[in-house]
Amino acid sequence: MATYQEFIQQNEDRDGVRFSWNLWPSSRLEATRLVVPVSCLFTPLKERPDLPPVQYEPVLCSRANCKAVLNPLCQVDYRAKIWACNFCFQRNPFPPSYAGISDVNQPAELMPQFSTIEYIVQRGPPNPLIFLYVVDTCLEEEDLQALKESLQMSLSLLPPNALVGLITFGRMVQVHELSCEGIAKSYVFRGTKELSSKQIQEMLGLTNPSASGPQGRPAAPQDPAVTCRFLQPVHKVDMNLTDLLGELQRDPWPVPQGKRPLRSTGIALSIAVGLLEGTFPNTGARVMMFMGGPPTQGPGMVVGDELKTPIRSWHDITKDNARHLKKATKYYDALANRAAVNGHSIDIYACALDQTGLLEMKCLSNLTGGHIAMGDSFNTSLFKQTFQRVFSKDHNGEFRMAFGGTLEVSTSRELKVSGAIGPCVSLKAKGPCISENEVGVGGTTQWKICSLSPSTTLALYFEVVNQHNAPIPQGGRGAVQFVTQYQHSNTQRRIRVTTVARNWADAQSQIQHIESSFDQEASAVIMARLGVFRAESEEGPDVLRWLDRQLIRLFMFHLRRSPFLQVFNNSPDECSYYRHHFVRQDLTQSLIMIQPILYSYSFHGPPEPVLLDSGSILPDRILLMDTFFQLVIYHGETIAQWRKAGYQEQPEYENFKHLLVAPVDDAQEILQTRFPMPRYIDTEHGGSQARFLLSKVNPSQTHNNLYSWGQETGAPILTDDVSLQVFMDHLKKLAVSSAA
Amino acid sequence: VNGNQERGWNDPPQFSYGLQTAAQGAPKRTPLNKRVPPPQLTGSPCPVPGDFPSATAPMTPPTNPLAPPCSMNTPPRPCPVAAPPLGGVMATPPPPFPVVEHTDSASSQSENEPDVDDVVTLLNWALTACRHTVKKQVCNDVAKRLKLFEDMWKSGKLSLPVRRRMIGLVQELKSCNWDAADEIHRALIVDHVNEVGQWMVGVKRLIAETRNLNPDLLHTQEVDQSLDTSSAGNSD
Repeated sequence: MATYQEFIQQNEDRDGVRFSWNLWPSSRLEATRLVVPVSCLFTPLKERPDLPPVQYEPVLCSRANCKAVLNPLCQVDYRAKIWACNFCFQRNPFPPSYAGISDVNQPAELMPQFSTIEYIVQRGPPNPLIFLYVVDTCLEEEDLQALKESLQMSLSLLPPNALVGLITFGRMVQVHELSCEGIAKSYVFRGTKELSSKQIQEMLGLTNPSASGPQGRPAAPQDPAVTCRFLQPVHKVDMNLTDLLGELQRDPWPVPQGKRPLRSTGIALSIAVGLLEGTFPNTGARVMMFMGGPPTQGPGMVVGDELKTPIRSWHDITKDNARHLKKATKYYDALANRAAVNGHSIDIYACALDQTGLLEMKCLSNLTGGHIAMGDSFNTSLFKQTFQRVFSKDHNGEFRMAFGGTLEVSTSRELKVSGAIGPCVSLKAKGPCISENEVGVGGTTQWKICSLSPSTTLALYFEVVNQHNAPIPQGGRGAVQFVTQYQHSNTQRRIRVTTVARNWADAQSQIQHIESSFDQEASAVIMARLGVFRAESEEGPDVLRWLDRQLIRLFMFHLRRSPFLQVFNNSPDECSYYRHHFVRQDLTQSLIMIQPILYSYSFHGPPEPVLLDSGSILPDRILLMDTFFQLVIYHGETIAQWRKAGYQEQPEYENFKHLLVAPVDDAQEILQTRFPMPRYIDTEHGGSQARFLLSKVNPSQTHNNLYSWGQETGAPILTDDVSLQVFMDHLKKLAVSSAA
Repeated sequence: VNGNQERGWNDPPQFSYGLQTAAQGAPKRTPLNKRVPPPQLTGSPCPVPGDFPSATAPMTPPTNPLAPPCSMNTPPRPCPVAAPPLGGVMATPPPPFPVVEHTDSASSQSENEPDVDDVVTLLNWALTACRHTVKKQVCNDVAKRLKLFEDMWKSGKLSLPVRRRMIGLVQELKSCNWDAADEIHRALIVDHVNEVGQWMVGVKRLIAETRNLNPDLLHTQEVDQSLDTSSAGNSD
């Protein structure tokens, strides 16, 4: 471990944790001088092919308000068979099954290399996973056909014992019975009438008035009589459902000239949430909603059915001219919270050329960990493959998706938890580690992540609470423990425990050491997430003013350039989409989103990374740019002319052919695995699509747009040649200002 | 295969199921995750940690990206255009010969056109075995779809890759390699849903039911008879 770089990387590889500071200032006063707080990015289910799970229950501290898990930082008395909790110092006896342990016969969870360890636990009968399709039928024929085929295909991709259900909607909402035989029946709901959860369950016949207990109480989830009709095992209904999907028609309600189709998305979702609530609370479930346009009627409508009234733009929003925005957002927010409470996640697959209302509906996915995919049409490979990848499997052949996650964080007493930012909701758990300063989703040390994947990453913010004059023993360490409980896609319940520690340091005497422990990349993403979180929950200009106050202008400028705050070049839906992915991706992907990667291909040597700068655009180079959402291959002017002249077809110019193919090959790996599938742009000097590259390397465009938007910027922007490295350097220098 | 440029701008290419599955399980071949520090460093006294590390192996320091202009970089002319640098070959181009790309990699396999009867026979062998224990309704539903498959094949509606892969599927079925057969069905429905979507679920169900059968049922006399007969006999 020669350098911090190696230390940081090893820790990330093993524990999925990246801290902003790897040496912590030992007093609260010193810590508050850090512009970047002690905080981390944490990937709960980071893929660890080398980590076999253990098949026993974790050992917990017996103190009621602690319950930390036995870990390598605990002191152990092997003779007396007692361990001391490193968080609360409670002495706990080992359970009887640990009678045989000794210092040469340690259980795995005490070994330092198992700072991250996963337990498989038995918690009652395994619950099947549930997939509830909610399908918009107000699509063009070609789109509907493509969507139907994708849904039929997905039946072969679902986990074999999963339950599946189907709700279709247009002007009305239909809940389909998936019986194994006979004529298919469906229950029809009006798309305009809001119903309570109880009413929905009653109308679907899910309540059994004759059962003992309070009237109208939903029957137990395991009752097959209740569940068999709408949510059936896919291995039993796959043939019927394939036929049912094949026979789906476009919404029969005619759409007059100049009007939009009447889409009752709000009611359809409310029925989906209510159906799952009543039958399978607290079980892993995904609502997968497919829509080809905005909700236009009923609660949650985003725009009316008159085409001459366009869907709200940023301009409308700032002028307070978006009449449905507040009400719709509130409606979907309530639905999202209900789903989250039950551990159900909601995916949105929105394919249309115009906006569909992601701005209002994003909380459905953001709060539950569900996906948002955005495309132009269901008949595109972008949608088809993104959708296929929801069911991707890891090297063990197991599904990557996990359900019903809860994260609990414990800290040593000098540290408290301010909050988390990511695809989660608060479980509102009270405890001794909660800071009064809320950052992100705060006021708790427990969060729920209803759906998660190996890349799902939360940002967690801490507060050093140790008083200035309280001593910390030399070499003393602060510790944080992350306990993630979840349902694996094979329905096993698992618990993953990660325990990490960092040294305390006296900021007065060791300021240089603290500085050298700074993780610029992690800090950039952590602060950017905070900026985005504030932008989403507060007014736009206030966020930028906050950034001005909190941090240096360079950082603010850099973040301003990014698509997360650069609202003027993207629609409200596009912004929602980009931000959705930014606040849940791991560090590497998040950095790509802030500053895209650029590689240059030439005859002069192997492909090399180059500055995201207009100076990197040369006539005899091919550039490959990855922005995470787009892959751009740009052919320089000379290359383009050669390509047009067809030299690559000639055998003696085979090296040119290889040059053309090289960036395409390198792009393939990304294209084959990334979720969501990025756009793929093959362009050249003078091509219309070249703007995707030019807008990223040329800041002066953005610069002008900033002013035309009319934002108050305060002081002028310092320089156009700001890069990630420069801002990071400044951030580091200004982040520790103990000399005021 | 290119994406759908008519419906979606900059639609990415479509990859086969097999390619995507393999890529997802394997580590990255060439991670594109390095960045270059800008020329104007601020000269901070402390060593700069986390200096754009790669996600995998430790990296070598980045080289200066702005190489000197290439001597062959002649100014562009509309026509004729200066040729790209040759790979050490003389300038006069030899007579060109066409480069034909084989899209169907299966051409390296057997040259015989797959026979529908071989496939149908094996499928019916499995279905016959299932009829002992599986509900009649289900078996009839499967039979209906197998018939549709057969009709589509015979009327030329199934492409060569689909036909070839179905041969592979029934071979796996015959050898009781259930997972392999299942994987082929999955690849087929992902890659060719518009051809197979209506009937493939019947094959899927057939595999699922057959694998659960008592192995003895797979070799009863009547079952073996249906395998031996050259024409596929639909007993129902």
